[in-house]
Amino acid sequence: MKLKRFHLRYYPPGIILEYEKKGCLRSKSIDLFDLTPATNPDELVAVIRQSEPLITESRANQVKQLILRLQQKQGQKNHRFCFIKELKAHVLPLTNVAFDKSGSRFLTGSYDRTCRVWDTASGTELHRLEGHSNVVYAIAFNNPYGDKVATGSFDKTCKLWSAETGVCFHTFCGHTAEIVCLAFNPQSTLVATGSMDCTAKLWDVETGEEVAALIGHTGEVIALCFNTVGSQLVTGSFDHSVSVWDVASGERVHTLIGHRGEITNVQFNWDCSLIVTGSMDTTCKLWEVVSGECVATLAEHKEEVLDVCFDLSGQLIATASADGTARVFSATTHQCLVTLEGHGGEISKICFNPQGSRILTASSDKTARLWDVQSGSCLQVLDGHTDEIFSCAFNYEGDTIITGSKDNTCRIWY
Amino acid sequence: MGLLSILRKLKSTPDQEVRILLLGLDNGGKTTLLKQLASEDISHITPTQGFNIKSVQSQGFKLNVWDIGGQRKIRPYWRNYFENTDVLIYVIDSADRKRFEETGQELAELLDEEKLSGVPVLIFANKQDLLTAAPASEIAEGLNLHTIRDRMWQIQSCSALTGEGIQEGMNWVCKSVNSKKK
Repeated sequence: MKLKRFHLRYYPPGIILEYEKKGCLRSKSIDLFDLTPATNPDELVAVIRQSEPLITESRANQVKQLILRLQQKQGQKNHRFCFIKELKAHVLPLTNVAFDKSGSRFLTGSYDRTCRVWDTASGTELHRLEGHSNVVYAIAFNNPYGDKVATGSFDKTCKLWSAETGVCFHTFCGHTAEIVCLAFNPQSTLVATGSMDCTAKLWDVETGEEVAALIGHTGEVIALCFNTVGSQLVTGSFDHSVSVWDVASGERVHTLIGHRGEITNVQFNWDCSLIVTGSMDTTCKLWEVVSGECVATLAEHKEEVLDVCFDLSGQLIATASADGTARVFSATTHQCLVTLEGHGGEISKICFNPQGSRILTASSDKTARLWDVQSGSCLQVLDGHTDEIFSCAFNYEGDTIITGSKDNTCRIWY
Repeated sequence: MGLLSILRKLKSTPDQEVRILLLGLDNGGKTTLLKQLASEDISHITPTQGFNIKSVQSQGFKLNVWDIGGQRKIRPYWRNYFENTDVLIYVIDSADRKRFEETGQELAELLDEEKLSGVPVLIFANKQDLLTAAPASEIAEGLNLHTIRDRMWQIQSCSALTGEGIQEGMNWVCKSVNSKKK
């Protein structure tokens, strides 16, 4: 085995080793999820060397430099967001918003049947993706590549577009009811769609053909997520259950039963070992992927859990509730670490910044709020929207925010 | 609950839930009517740029009412909301005689829509609190309502402002849903 070179992964922090083995180029990652600006880099290098034979004495200093770079990145804190621009994006309310990986472009979906591609810096419209005959609800870039866009519509179809030219490559037809969630696999070879017709489907990006129909739910499929390597898909349904599917075969691996209300969101953690689910039953559950067992029920909210997510490293879980509060839990101890209080209405969306130090929430009180994960204090109230905020997102650097509202506009903050 | 509430109300409604579509020209009083139904404050209502959804309990039914903006530029998007509609409520400003022709045309187009075929229609002759309001009988005649034969229909005079006539209209809605389900 011969080490060829290093790659740095900022979020979640890690070092990717590219090495040669029997003439083949391979790679593996050293995950450094516990890294903080306070970590002693020399000690960390020593720990890495104990378990990683590829890091020889001569490479040690190089690794230390990489660790310092990662720590430098983590040190960028106290960024205060300023309102930059309001885009009168659509003639009807917005649905979802999404960034590409760099954050230089973003997407908005709308009740006006279009999806628009925007330039973040200038706020100009790059493309208007027209062709759907009903609400454009679910949208995504094929990150990290960012050269394609998928749109899922209430017209029962999903369309695949070029992000560069705005040309429609394929229309995926086959669902018999509204498409309400979708995702690209990490390799960008497949699109998964979930529908009110109680099924999910996998589509080939290249050919536009249906690859698999994931049949088994008895209620609407309203959330889905690929794991980090793209081998499994998790779907959440209004039938109160969650299913885990093997992507290659289209077979159901597990049915996660335990919630007593509709599922509102599902997500894998970074190392694909856990799934978190939120439900209208006011709880959030944590499941072990290998066994399909429920390992924890986080029952602290007084009303429906409307959104749930892991931070990128998978250490923390954030939950948003109709009770107007959000909470942060430890993914390992399952303890509630902080409660985020201040919104004057239901919180319908929640996300971490890629660094895992901040949380962004969107509420029916017409504001989005930025919170400090450690202390739970509200750092900023992003106000100005004149109606409920449906969606919010950070870019990969964590220095830009977009919010999408029922008031037909979106706002850029950085 | 944000976008989830839209999905929840979109799904095929169980027996006791009724999906009602509230349409009509701009400034007809749809949002005032919706708020009156939900017993909410009606003093500061601005033109609806998108839609409002409210659930109201009435006579053992859960009425999910979708109020869609009526401005000309957003009327083409009404059809986004047609699917799974149980009852259509069409609101007319009875005092705005200049626009009777326009409102009649929009209604006729709605009744021609395939996705709304057979859906019972209630016409609210709203703003009866105004002195210049045309009576419901005159509007019914002007719109040729008596030629509607492919569905149940009803015209009800009302004032969304005072609440007068609204309960009678909603009684008809529940009755028509009952007889449709039989």
